[in-house]
Amino acid sequence: MLLRLVVSLAALLSLRLGSGAHGKTPGPGSALSTPAPLGCVGRQTRLRSVLNSPLKFCIPREPHLAGPLGRGAPITSSVPGWGSPFWQDWVSGSPFVEVEEADGEWGVDREYSVNGSCYNSSHQHHPCPWGWALPALVLTPFSPGTELPGPPSVWFEAEFFHHVIHWMPIQNQSKNTYYEVAIMRYGKELWKTIPNCSQTLAQSCDLTTVTLDLYHSNGYRAKVRAVDGIQHSNWTLASTRFSRDEVTLTVGSVKLEMQNGFIFGTIQPPRPKMAPVGDTYESIFSHFREYEVAIRKVPGNYTFTNEKVNHESFSLPISGEVGEFCVRVKPSVGSRINKAAWSKEECIVLTKQQYFTVTNLSMFFAFLVLLCGALAYCLTLHLYVQRRGKLPAVLVFEKPNPIIPISQLPCPETEDTIHPLDEEAFPKVFPELRNSDLHGSTDSGFGSTKPSLQTEEPQFLLPVLHPQASGTLEKGESPELGDSCSNGSSNSTDSGICLQEPSLSSSTGPTWEQQVGSDSQGQDDSGIGLVQNSERQPRDTQGGSALTHVSPLGPEVPGEEDTAMAAFQGYLKQIRCTEEKAIKAGCLEEESPLTDGLGPKFRTCLDAEAGWPPPALAKGYLKQDLPGMTLAPSETISGQWNQPLEEWPLLGLTSCGDLGTSDWSFAHDLAPLDCVAAPSGLLGSFNADLVTLPLMSSLHSNE
Amino acid sequence: MNVQHVSLWLLGAMLILYSVHTHGLRRCQVSVDTRHIEESFQEIKRAIQAKDIFQNVTILSTSEALQSIKPSDVCCMTKNVLAFYVDRVFKDHQEPNPRVLRKISSIANSFLYMQKALQRCQEQKRCHCRQEATNATKIIHDNYDQLEVRSAAVKSLGELDVFLAWIDKNNQETSTA
Repeated sequence: MLLRLVVSLAALLSLRLGSGAHGKTPGPGSALSTPAPLGCVGRQTRLRSVLNSPLKFCIPREPHLAGPLGRGAPITSSVPGWGSPFWQDWVSGSPFVEVEEADGEWGVDREYSVNGSCYNSSHQHHPCPWGWALPALVLTPFSPGTELPGPPSVWFEAEFFHHVIHWMPIQNQSKNTYYEVAIMRYGKELWKTIPNCSQTLAQSCDLTTVTLDLYHSNGYRAKVRAVDGIQHSNWTLASTRFSRDEVTLTVGSVKLEMQNGFIFGTIQPPRPKMAPVGDTYESIFSHFREYEVAIRKVPGNYTFTNEKVNHESFSLPISGEVGEFCVRVKPSVGSRINKAAWSKEECIVLTKQQYFTVTNLSMFFAFLVLLCGALAYCLTLHLYVQRRGKLPAVLVFEKPNPIIPISQLPCPETEDTIHPLDEEAFPKVFPELRNSDLHGSTDSGFGSTKPSLQTEEPQFLLPVLHPQASGTLEKGESPELGDSCSNGSSNSTDSGICLQEPSLSSSTGPTWEQQVGSDSQGQDDSGIGLVQNSERQPRDTQGGSALTHVSPLGPEVPGEEDTAMAAFQGYLKQIRCTEEKAIKAGCLEEESPLTDGLGPKFRTCLDAEAGWPPPALAKGYLKQDLPGMTLAPSETISGQWNQPLEEWPLLGLTSCGDLGTSDWSFAHDLAPLDCVAAPSGLLGSFNADLVTLPLMSSLHSNE
Repeated sequence: MNVQHVSLWLLGAMLILYSVHTHGLRRCQVSVDTRHIEESFQEIKRAIQAKDIFQNVTILSTSEALQSIKPSDVCCMTKNVLAFYVDRVFKDHQEPNPRVLRKISSIANSFLYMQKALQRCQEQKRCHCRQEATNATKIIHDNYDQLEVRSAAVKSLGELDVFLAWIDKNNQETSTA
């Protein structure tokens, strides 16, 4: 009886001791009841691992594992770093065992072994590998991380493709402490440990190579824990998800150059080497890139003008300032909220504006070349035009006598001797003319016995000469003329044209038609040429008469020539002068009424031309080519003869003639021309009608 | 010939303009300044994302959800996600911090404004929902349901930057198209 009690007590004691060694004693009723497992949601449930929180999963209790007391079987784990297996008690009668990991975390890659049976997190039972077929060992609770603290904080400091994770070190770190970094792309379920970051006593790690698609994804989560030997701390997560919003914007470089009082800056975006081929700053931040530019003058401070430019270039006006200027740039993206950092400042030294730059010099020389070319062209043109406009030598007139008044100089003058006209001679002329036989003739005075007249008249163009008178004149003239010429009369209103050869008179007959025609083209020549054509026509008559008058008036020099040349001796050289024509016209116009005799008016005219000393008369040619012109004075005369004739005709005649002489005397160039052409008052009213010629003769006869 | 050429050019230009106009009309463009919402979110991002403990779970970032949406489904998807946030996330989230709560409220108001803008498009039959958009919306709701309500709401708020970036990307594509 005593033996049965001892055996039962020994069994009880052994059981007690066994349970006590394991630390736990199953309850008396635990083997009988089967309470529901805590937190187990079924064998098929796949629980997600949660960091820093206890993960419970249930291991199915194998029937053969159930002991008498329902204690749980020991569980081993394939997690590296585990020191020793831990012991888990079965809930008696429970078909599942609740396993709780005190530290670390469960992962899909972890296996658990219970009495030779292996389980992974999916709770699918599969036979353990051979290495695992070991008798179950008692696992003691193992929580190495509880003693080692984790990093207090973890954060990212990132720039464009330069992503660096930072953490604060733990307080009691030893020289063997290193930190593990794990990252996970947000949305994926795999944490990836970065081995390069596990450097001793490091406090940061470059994660660029593993986060290259940061700008195309939703971000990364990162965590860090401290490891010292077999101890490791809890994971410390980065507070926020690391995305491109946390990238600090920077610029690569800024280049400055000075141009024309401006500082031109070029901004280079960052070009990191780690960036993939297609990912550039411009492609990732494609819109609304802005740059804030700040400038300062050394040694002043930056003035924040808050001026932003939208391009990778800018220009700052610096007019007239010298010294060193420093510029820095801060980028930003208008549509993003990224932080930005100022660039390194770039400095440029401004000196005084260089005027002699290559550009300026080249422009200056180009301008010079153009100017010279233009000048050369103008000169060439001017010379060429001058040459073209140069008059032939034949028509070039000699310079006038310096005695000539300046007022008359504009007109080209000849070098012929000029016989000043004596004003006093004029009054003489008129009475003489009245009394002379010439009154009866249309002769203006050519061929008169009065030498004075003869001397004077030959100078004038007498358009109203009657052929007969001219003939008479011829006869009378020549000797007298010759005398006059030979005399070299002092009271010469003579223009200086003298015919020294009587033969010339005979040759006065010839028409100077030819010359008229030839000279009527508007030459300077008066156009009076003596031709040995005795034919006389009415037109020619006048001209001839003029010629007759003229012929003896031929210049002395040509008079000496032979008869062939005598025809040309009759030229009354006349210098055309438009100005003086006008003047004469005005003058003549005044006298056109010819009221009280030409003399006073003439004098007034002469006075009008005040300041004109009796100049030397040039030997000019009277232009006698236009019969109208020649008739003009005749018309005047005829008209005048209708009036008191005694005074008029000769006045009329001499008006022109005297005017002519006066012109000769004063202007020595235009008188007959003026008479003929210019005097608008006189000429305008005249009719080129030769009928008036007989009228003059009749008038003469009346007298 | 010149007159014909000119008339042809004019006709072509008119056709192009008309097509562009109609193309623009076909798409419902929501002109919303997301920058304001992003600024508000940035201030509370740290606080909200720190509460998110389920790191390898995502609600919006799955490849089946937002990333694979075609441009023609953008309007429908935007409308659906806005409704998801307004009807479920903002209501389920309990925020004790008043500063954070104020920012969340401003974000919620901006979402309401966007919803009204999209409503007009829907009335003009320019916001048609195809099956792909409907499926993607269902995936988001399923992901949300996988988690506990409070955790899901916190996670959804933490993923607001994903949603705003997606809107920006589609707006840029629409404007450049």
